Amino acid sequence: MSDPDDISNLQHVDMSVRELLTEMKDTSEVIVDLAYASLMYNSDNMAQKVRDLEDDMDDLKFAIRYKALLSSRTKEDARQLSGLLEVASAADRISNAASDIVSLLRFPPEKRPLITDILLESDERIRMIRVKPESTMVGNTIERLAIEANTGCKIIAIKNRHGWTYDPEYDMKIRANDDIVVRGTDDGADLLTQYAAGRKEWVFEETPTEEQAEQEAEENEREEEQLSEELRGEDEE
Amino acid sequence: MKSKLEAMFLELKDTSEMMVDLAYSSLLYDNVEIAEEVLSLYDRMEELSERIQDEIVQVSRSMPDEVARAVVTTRLMDSILEIADAARSIADVVVRGLAEHPVLALSIRDSDTTMCLAKVGTESILAGKTLGEHSLATNTGMFVLAVRREDDYIFGPGWDTRLEAGDILIARGPEDAVSYFKDIVDGTRTEF
Repeated sequence: MSDPDDISNLQHVDMSVRELLTEMKDTSEVIVDLAYASLMYNSDNMAQKVRDLEDDMDDLKFAIRYKALLSSRTKEDARQLSGLLEVASAADRISNAASDIVSLLRFPPEKRPLITDILLESDERIRMIRVKPESTMVGNTIERLAIEANTGCKIIAIKNRHGWTYDPEYDMKIRANDDIVVRGTDDGADLLTQYAAGRKEWVFEETPTEEQAEQEAEENEREEEQLSEELRGEDEE
Repeated sequence: MKSKLEAMFLELKDTSEMMVDLAYSSLLYDNVEIAEEVLSLYDRMEELSERIQDEIVQVSRSMPDEVARAVVTTRLMDSILEIADAARSIADVVVRGLAEHPVLALSIRDSDTTMCLAKVGTESILAGKTLGEHSLATNTGMFVLAVRREDDYIFGPGWDTRLEAGDILIARGPEDAVSYFKDIVDGTRTEF
């Protein structure tokens, strides 16, 4: 019989249920974008990242089950956790689907033209944009630029001379000649292309002070609560 | 010219993505109406997938060279349906009343892609305008998933959806876009 205290074969058990679920949700979103992008750009490297993320998702799935079961004390806990685990398992299924999508790379590109056409016409499209040396974005971090807030485009991958970085961290700097793969609306990507080509100067927002940010966050939270209630209240009518 | 198959497939993919977004928002706001919309979208996806299968059979019959493409297309369709089915499972948690665990809402708020609500103010530059007129997603970074108007919802609003004062918008996007978005929507800020 194995030692119940030995959990060395379980990854991520140092994370809380909240952290695990957040990670699973984030992964389930970025993995689908990457899967479609790998088909568009015929990239085995991207497909490999999708498979790695899918492996990681399996680890997260076991970790969250383990932590959730450990934390269950009462019938009410069990009821609530059953819902939570179903959501976790849905995130895992989404990543499985993404990994199935990249397995289509074994077919030559000319056998999957429909896919590329569809990806080019979706509501939110995937585009690759080159950052020119003259762009005012160069040398700034994704966070400082607040790229998604300013253009509606989410960066899903960056390719530079060192290779690919997937789902880059906010502190990553944009460098000259980076290729950035984004997901966003068409006019958002057009706008970003202008910035990246140096045809339009990036307008830097003033970074709010810590105090301002805190005040704003509180205000947002209050408003969010009020509107949530309004949304719910009217439901009961 | 877009083929019939392509148009149907595009709808399938876009709907699957909208379903995932709506499913997470139903979870965040523990909202049965949104969850039920996800369930009915799934039924529509199933119908659509049957029509796609029929079309693939038709195309393959007339063009035997197209068989490999048909295989690829069918497999991609299955993956998209699987994503839609996962969204359906999330919505099902809400419909069953099992979405009360506080960690569910917290995790969505902690995510890289978060969600928020905002109410269109009478002074807002958005009131009376379509979503497209202000390129709202591009200018604010927040993508509107649904609009609550009085007792009804408009799910997956398009560029031509006109907003009215009093509408509650359910949107998704990065955390650092939320304050700006709320200010634009409620009319605190009157220009981009």
